[in-house]
Amino acid sequence: MAKIADLIVEDAPGKRVLLMGNEAIARGAIEAGVGVAASYPGTPASEILETLALAAPKLGFHAEWSTNEKVAFEVAAGAAITGARAITSMKNAGLNWVMDMLMTLVYGGVRGGFVIAVADDPDAHYSSNEQDTRFAAFYGEIPCLEPSNSQEAKDMTCYAFELSEQLELPVFVRSVTRISHASGDVELGKIQKLDRKPVFDKHWKLPWRWNVYGPPGAVEKHRWLHDQMPKIKKLVETLPWNKLELGKTPSCGIIASGIGASYARDAIKMLGLEGKVAFLKLGTPAPIPERLIGRLLKAVKSVLVVEEGEPVVELQVKALAKDVNPEVKILGRLTGTMPAVGEINTDIAAQAIAKLTKRKLPQDVQREQAQAEIKKLVAPRSSTLCAGCPHLGSYWALKQALRKVGGKVPLVNGDIGCYEQGGYGIAGKEYKPSFSTESVRYPIEAPYETLDTNYIMGGGVGLMQGQFHAGYKDGVMVGVAGDSTFFHACIPAVINAVYNKARGLFLVMDNTWTAMTGHQPNPVTGITATGEATKVLSIEEVAKACGVEFIKVVDPYDLKATTAAIEEALKSDKFAIVVARHVCTLQAQRQKKFVGKRMVFDRDKCTGCKICVSFGCPGVVFKEGKAGLDPILCNGCGMCAQVCPTGAIRAEG
Amino acid sequence: MADLNLIIAGVGGQGSILASHIVATAAIRDGLRARVGETFGAAMRGGAVASHVRIGKEIHAPLVPKDGAEIVLALEPLEGLRNIANFLGKGGLLLTNTRPWLPVDVNIGRAEYPSMESIKDAIDKLGGKIVEIDATSLAQQAGNVRTMNIVMLGALAATGKLPISVETLKQVIKENVPPKTIDVNLRAFELGLSSMKK
Ligand SMILES: Cc1ncc(C[n+]2csc(CCOP(=O)(O)OP(=O)(O)O)c2C)c(N)n1
Repeated sequence: MAKIADLIVEDAPGKRVLLMGNEAIARGAIEAGVGVAASYPGTPASEILETLALAAPKLGFHAEWSTNEKVAFEVAAGAAITGARAITSMKNAGLNWVMDMLMTLVYGGVRGGFVIAVADDPDAHYSSNEQDTRFAAFYGEIPCLEPSNSQEAKDMTCYAFELSEQLELPVFVRSVTRISHASGDVELGKIQKLDRKPVFDKHWKLPWRWNVYGPPGAVEKHRWLHDQMPKIKKLVETLPWNKLELGKTPSCGIIASGIGASYARDAIKMLGLEGKVAFLKLGTPAPIPERLIGRLLKAVKSVLVVEEGEPVVELQVKALAKDVNPEVKILGRLTGTMPAVGEINTDIAAQAIAKLTKRKLPQDVQREQAQAEIKKLVAPRSSTLCAGCPHLGSYWALKQALRKVGGKVPLVNGDIGCYEQGGYGIAGKEYKPSFSTESVRYPIEAPYETLDTNYIMGGGVGLMQGQFHAGYKDGVMVGVAGDSTFFHACIPAVINAVYNKARGLFLVMDNTWTAMTGHQPNPVTGITATGEATKVLSIEEVAKACGVEFIKVVDPYDLKATTAAIEEALKSDKFAIVVARHVCTLQAQRQKKFVGKRMVFDRDKCTGCKICVSFGCPGVVFKEGKAGLDPILCNGCGMCAQVCPTGAIRAEG
Repeated sequence: MADLNLIIAGVGGQGSILASHIVATAAIRDGLRARVGETFGAAMRGGAVASHVRIGKEIHAPLVPKDGAEIVLALEPLEGLRNIANFLGKGGLLLTNTRPWLPVDVNIGRAEYPSMESIKDAIDKLGGKIVEIDATSLAQQAGNVRTMNIVMLGALAATGKLPISVETLKQVIKENVPPKTIDVNLRAFELGLSSMKK
């Protein structure tokens, strides 16, 4: 759909359109005249740069997919140092990679506006944790804006550049899944055209501005940083996103920040409490508008804080209450009025508001029982790899090789990408804790039970080395990762393995795309974020340059060859890399480069052994004691035919 | 007209997101406000997905509250069941495609796929209504199975419950599908629309 590509650059102030939160953030940057945008993909943040990349060639700014978030951050920061407006965007976990640079960059700040857009993921829908970016605003002593819908996502991002230039510091725009991956009506604003010439002055306003080691040194620069935030104390009281509706002498109030404000508003309406509770809508969790909040705290007896994530606003409100009205009761996560973990929603907000206002929510016990009964009928739908996914071949081959030469309890360290589903387990199955004092081997019923450890990008190949050096002898040790992950985070670990003489297999599943986050290009794809042709890097060449001696490249669609390569690698006495290379099936189909075979299934030959089912392809179905192929899902990759022991599945012709 | 809460449920790759964006865009075009809350997984296919669509004048959050949906539009029966259990309001409507997409959990024998009878029974218990459509076949008839989501939009339009004109919907479909597929998509829409009139 070419639609968003046109819409995003349309200079039509006042026009109302539907924008996803991430598109709105991108549009905000475009309206602010952004000059450089850099990011690394991560759900739920990827569409920010994807959208900016659509606009970049048309408006003449730079947009790139960097190799990781830290590099992206530095690219954007470098631009901002020369006075350009720059944005970097990332998912929650990306911020962890960025912290080193962020914590130091703030000691001199920036010249051009620098916006750090982070999409948090409460409920960990697409993430390995629920971390709350707003804390980082305090750590780095910089402001944080938090939108409650798409319109604010756009407006706040646009404004964040201005605020950043006023303070000469980077500014956070903190989104969450329900902003980034939600859509809403947005009124477009004007697109500013800033023709800024990049300039550089190493003593701009402060000596050695861009060099923390330059005199007067880090402590004085820390003092400068520390003096910045108080400058906007007054300003935040008047920002349009911080608003107090006090009403007529209510006894209760609600402070709702970011998406929390949208849930709270719907909940107030649901409970028929419009105008009966004081409402403070908050858009700046850092710094908070103390006078505005103080007015509320003085006016009521109890206050509920509704926010998504950790009690960031709640803690500040508590501290403030001590000074302005110690009598007022503050309810929120710390009092258990709001849940401690997970995502909030309108129902949760309504329950908390009911508690605040001492009201009972209507209950329909019969209906709840009926719903509980119905839920028992709902079969789980474990997420799977796609039909014909090359990772299926890699996992099958790995399983065969481990069976033969893996030892008693082989250890497979996972990583982040589509292949991480190799550790999602099977939803319909119950896994019980074990208290064994010995290593335990569990059967792998489907590829989704392969990965034994999994944490973060690049984590697996490092963990494997520790297991080796600890002297783990009960089985072989494996790390797996994808191509994008290899470049993002694995290269230092590969060098480390060689340098410190670790052994083990590093299986790199190269599908030539950063697939899981929506098929962004990376250094092995051959194109940039804006679709320009660029150099194709080779994982095996990089590995070779890192000193790896055992390297094999195979096609995971060829199960026999892949199994053999993995077996050989596992038997080798070296740190070994097997690159399983086959382009992502979805992407190949989209680009009409996929040539599938016509598969035929012979029901008479099928013995119902379920080996093909355990291969894990969603195109293989099992009904009435026999397997079969789903004609809509099967795309004729032919891998299942290679695993069928009775020849019931074969490719035609 | 009051606010409308609609959930479009399906399996990743079936087009529930596009369908929800078409409805929301059409609503904005007809002067209303809109929210879409999406739970879409990664790029992979095969996960359960649901888009919450809210249309009206006074709406804020992108998610439909519990028991708050007037309509659940299911591109796949099990996903319909999953969503009515939590979200269908009293007197609500489940408009469902009849063609199942079996989860691995069922394939490997770890779970059972609910029968159409049990889904109807669930609707009864919730005091709702159900309409079944063989949308996959209709999409094939239109010329491309992948237009199944648009068949379902046609059926949705036929309920008369959308505060949006059929013309606006068709226009937005035209603008949002690949240019070469406009004709099949409009055929699919019409087939869905007329299937409800029988
Ligand atoms: C620090 C961090 N950044 C980004 C992500 C988001 N992320 C999840 S999977 C993935 C893609 C990895 O791509 P690749 O390794 O090539 O595997 P594929 O999905 O293509 O199989 C990314 C970037 C993350 N989880 N953590």
